[in-house]
Amino acid sequence: MSDHLSKQFDLELEHIRTRLLQMGGLVENQVQAAIDAFSSGNLEAMQQVIDRDCEVDANEVGIDEDCTLLIARRQPTARDLRLVMAVSRIVTDLERVGDKAAKIANMSRKLHQGGNQRIPRLSDIRHCGRLATDMLQSALDSLARMDVAAARQVIGADKAIDAAFNAILRQLITYMMEDPRTISEALDIIWIAKAIERVGDHAANIAENVIYIVSGVDVRHSGAARKVASE
Amino acid sequence: MSRRGSWFARFLLTRLLPILGLALLAWISQGAAWGWAVAALGFAVLACVHARQLVALLAWLDAPEKRAFPHAGGAWGEVLGKLSGRLRDDTRGRQEVEATLHSFRGAMDAVPDGLVIVDASHRIHWSNRAAGAHLGIHLPRDSGVIIEHLVRTPGFAEYLASPDVHSPFVLQAPAARTRIYTIRVVPLGDANKLLVSLDVTDARRVESMRSTFVANVSHELRTPLTVVRGFLEYFTDDGVVDGEQRQQFARLMSDQTARMLTLVDDLLTLSRLEAEDAPASEEDVDMANLLAQLQAEGKSLSDGRHRLDVNCLGPALRGNRKELHSAFGNLVSNAIRYTPAGGEIAIEWAMHEGVGVFSVRDSGVGVAAEHLPRLTERFYRVDRGRSRDTGGTGLGLAIVKHILLRHQASLSIDSEVGAGSTFRAAFPDWRLPAAK
Repeated sequence: MSDHLSKQFDLELEHIRTRLLQMGGLVENQVQAAIDAFSSGNLEAMQQVIDRDCEVDANEVGIDEDCTLLIARRQPTARDLRLVMAVSRIVTDLERVGDKAAKIANMSRKLHQGGNQRIPRLSDIRHCGRLATDMLQSALDSLARMDVAAARQVIGADKAIDAAFNAILRQLITYMMEDPRTISEALDIIWIAKAIERVGDHAANIAENVIYIVSGVDVRHSGAARKVASE
Repeated sequence: MSRRGSWFARFLLTRLLPILGLALLAWISQGAAWGWAVAALGFAVLACVHARQLVALLAWLDAPEKRAFPHAGGAWGEVLGKLSGRLRDDTRGRQEVEATLHSFRGAMDAVPDGLVIVDASHRIHWSNRAAGAHLGIHLPRDSGVIIEHLVRTPGFAEYLASPDVHSPFVLQAPAARTRIYTIRVVPLGDANKLLVSLDVTDARRVESMRSTFVANVSHELRTPLTVVRGFLEYFTDDGVVDGEQRQQFARLMSDQTARMLTLVDDLLTLSRLEAEDAPASEEDVDMANLLAQLQAEGKSLSDGRHRLDVNCLGPALRGNRKELHSAFGNLVSNAIRYTPAGGEIAIEWAMHEGVGVFSVRDSGVGVAAEHLPRLTERFYRVDRGRSRDTGGTGLGLAIVKHILLRHQASLSIDSEVGAGSTFRAAFPDWRLPAAK
């Protein structure tokens, strides 16, 4: 009887993880599509990203509800409890990433509709976006495999995105100083770069939660993760 | 039954009968007590011998890899001999199965399609090497992981739950990046599923290239035709065109028809090059002569606006003269068309590290790095307006590439925007008979 119950419980936990990772897949897709649309100037694709954001939001609400129900019905302990807690935190991160994707799409639409293109569409943005999507993908992979080593690598990779963001910033500042007419356009691009940089931060958060699930160590804000990652 | 009977007879003859015989002898010679004693001693010795063998066998069974297989004579020897024979057969059988399995795995890993087997709850059971490249699934790390956790593309989970037999799932996930895969799901046994992933990137690219090619040809022909038709309509609608104007229109129309003719010629050249694998005839081409001809043609095209510098330092080149002339001529005319007046163009044929290199260096507009890989595609243009103004068909470099391929030569391009470009065609040494 108890064996049957625990099996049912395992299935429910697995189901929550599957839903979470499916949502992760959707969000990955959104970010990638938003950055692609920014580089290609495809207005239709931008609109699609913006429209699909509500799908991400619906996922967040659904998974959160599942978590609450599971805690109420099964009173999980130890690693199971950590998993449920981490899932509800990761969901928030993923939803934010979804928002960032919509924001990138929105800003790109504004930029491309504005028409006047004084600043070339920087390939640095694409590079930065590539780093961010890679990080998000690795973070979700480490969640799928419960792989602490991979999660630590993700946390370490955040530095590269920060550096790329700073490089973009410096470049845009040069443009703005040379020609003040580029300021509004440059500001929009900064917003996009900032959104991409934030995607990397959220990916690192997800990786921290993976470490928390597996080893029970909370590495947030402690600097410990970075120390561990550099080892 | 008879085997067992013969075994029993042997046991009786070799073990029991001697003991009983000795006991009987003792009974007769020494009395009943001695007889019993000898019999008891004999049986005790027999039991001890058997117990020792039994212990040795048990010890070996507990740790077969550490101990040597026990040896013995007599009945035990037979038993142990048969046992070891059976074991040898088993080991050989297992090795054969393992070898078959190993070669089967090797064959599965060599399959270019990705193969993944999942069970009823979609946990990964087995996958081959290609699945690692296509879907990022690597064994043994991912054994037992639910496949939807790794392949997270929206729609994949739904497809896996209810696969459509007729149309595969098209995957262009972040994991796949620039490549496109199709995934088919085949039921395997009662509950398992086999996923087959196929790399269709090249097929799709060819497909899209073909359709853009047709669109491009139509567009290129349409533009001059529209111009010609416009003039013709003008002529037919009102006949009042003065002589000078008519002359001008006729000149424009003839320009446009000439352009169409060049385009059709280029297309025909290209399709002929594609249809045949190798040049019809080959000869030792006198390069000094060919370069002189190129220089003359270049001069007339440049009309004195550029400085042409021709250097022939290499030996004769084995190949089809007409084709080589066409390829080199294309490179030279490109250089002239993309170099502003006053620029410099250096044409050179020389040996570099054992290969013959024909190079055209100009001080022209140059090509940005991102365009270089696609430069030899048909109708690929860095700047649409400009190249048509200068009279290009968009097929020149495609023709060059084809001709060079037929001569086993390679084309390399170095370019910097604003500083000029260098096009190099390198021919293998066996095409340079005089150089040896």
